[in-house]
Amino acid sequence: MAVQGIWSGTISFSLVAIPVQLVKAIEPGRVSFHLLHSKDYSRLSRRMFCPEEKKIVPPDEIIRGYEIVPDKFILMTDEELESVSPERSRTIEIVEFIDMKAVDTIYYDHPYYLVPSKGGEKAYQLLVEVMRRTNKAGVAKFVLAEREYLVLVTSREGALALTTLHYSDEILSDADIAPKKGKIEAEEAIRMKKSIEQMIEDFNPGKYADGRRKKIMDIIAAKAKEKTPVEAPAVEKEGGEGPADLVAALEESMRKVKENR
Amino acid sequence: MAGGTLWKGYVHFGDTDVPVKLHSAVREERIQFHLLHKGDQVKLRQQMICAYEKQPVPTEEQSKGFEVEAGKYILVDPEELEQTNPESSRMIEVHEFVKNAQIDPIFHDRVYYLEPDIAGIQGKGYDGLVKALKEMDVAGICTWIMRKRSYFGALQASGKILRLNTLRFADEIVPVEALGLQGVPLSEKELKIGGDLINQLTAPFEPRKFENEHQKKLQDMIEKKARGEKIAVLAPKRLKPTESDQLLQVLEASLKKAA
Repeated sequence: MAVQGIWSGTISFSLVAIPVQLVKAIEPGRVSFHLLHSKDYSRLSRRMFCPEEKKIVPPDEIIRGYEIVPDKFILMTDEELESVSPERSRTIEIVEFIDMKAVDTIYYDHPYYLVPSKGGEKAYQLLVEVMRRTNKAGVAKFVLAEREYLVLVTSREGALALTTLHYSDEILSDADIAPKKGKIEAEEAIRMKKSIEQMIEDFNPGKYADGRRKKIMDIIAAKAKEKTPVEAPAVEKEGGEGPADLVAALEESMRKVKENR
Repeated sequence: MAGGTLWKGYVHFGDTDVPVKLHSAVREERIQFHLLHKGDQVKLRQQMICAYEKQPVPTEEQSKGFEVEAGKYILVDPEELEQTNPESSRMIEVHEFVKNAQIDPIFHDRVYYLEPDIAGIQGKGYDGLVKALKEMDVAGICTWIMRKRSYFGALQASGKILRLNTLRFADEIVPVEALGLQGVPLSEKELKIGGDLINQLTAPFEPRKFENEHQKKLQDMIEKKARGEKIAVLAPKRLKPTESDQLLQVLEASLKKAA
């Protein structure tokens, strides 16, 4: 399979348990530049660096710390973090199903897909098909490293999508910016409805694209004609230098998405 | 309370212009950890490391390159990239209106509240637009330029206010085909029982009842450790996957349990 899992575990509803992998549903659509060292044109990569010892720190020498007072930390190992909510760290348990129509889109945060692991294909497909037919979504909670996510599991074009939701106390009130009770704008609404009526169409997101990307690609194409590309020096591949762990990988992918905004 | 004003502009379609101010609608509060070096507990920093010299590289020695073939790059200057920034504008241009139900939720990115900008000359249209969008159950599909970037979004009514929902561009969404899923035949009986089960487990959506309990538990654990108490390390619970040939029985047992 072409997709790479961010997390693996089980999704369950009632007594049914389906082994799954979480994969990303969003590819940040920016032109993928690489950062290079302008002196030798070698690739740069993001690494954790110890400012004291002036050295790159490998993943097995990294630990999470909660700063209780300045420069004093409570250390937390991955195992300890996992045992905060052991029942949720490897299981996405659907606690109830809801009508898709009932979900206010303001809760949506970030979408992913779930794909079945070996042996889970049939139960996976059953959940996809049954949620499609009933227009229902599953509500679940699960924990990934230090965060607990409230998620919505939905059926999308034959796959299960998992969208993290904001908690209700993260949604700010709009009461202070809502218009004060004024005159009823009935006439205005009627006028607007007429003009909206003439502009109704089907949702077709493919029509819209970020024009900037094309402009950047044009610049690159023009330069490629005029100039010979620079060449990076050969380097030996070193293992174990990837992101510290899955959470780092996840945060890295979130960061990329956010940078693209 | 809504977040502070982020941007000011006006919604435009036909001969309508509604001046608005953008506010953030969501604020996340989470326990923050630092990544430390195990031995000396020094806070680690992310640094860009040169693959060749294995040394951190300062920002002024970093350049952007587009890989044309393996290990070969076309360099692009920041000034050249700047030229590609869209021209700044204050207009949120509505191109068409669509039924709310047609918008695939996977497109939803972030939401802003729009406040009527009473300082604007034609501030009156706001309430009328809220009413019209609500009664017709439609969203305005729009584009705008903010902070030197192009955005694509859906203008929607909620309660008394307008919201601007940024949408992801279509080519940023991983198509389901890329997942390589394979169809598995299901019997009508399995689907029927599965449907009954889901209906049985359906409840109204009440987001308020879901609290971030984990955050509280994590805070407790940190405090325990701060007092020097020992932490019991628990193994994560793992469920045994349902076997395909047991699916029907498990669904039937679930239904019995739920009823």
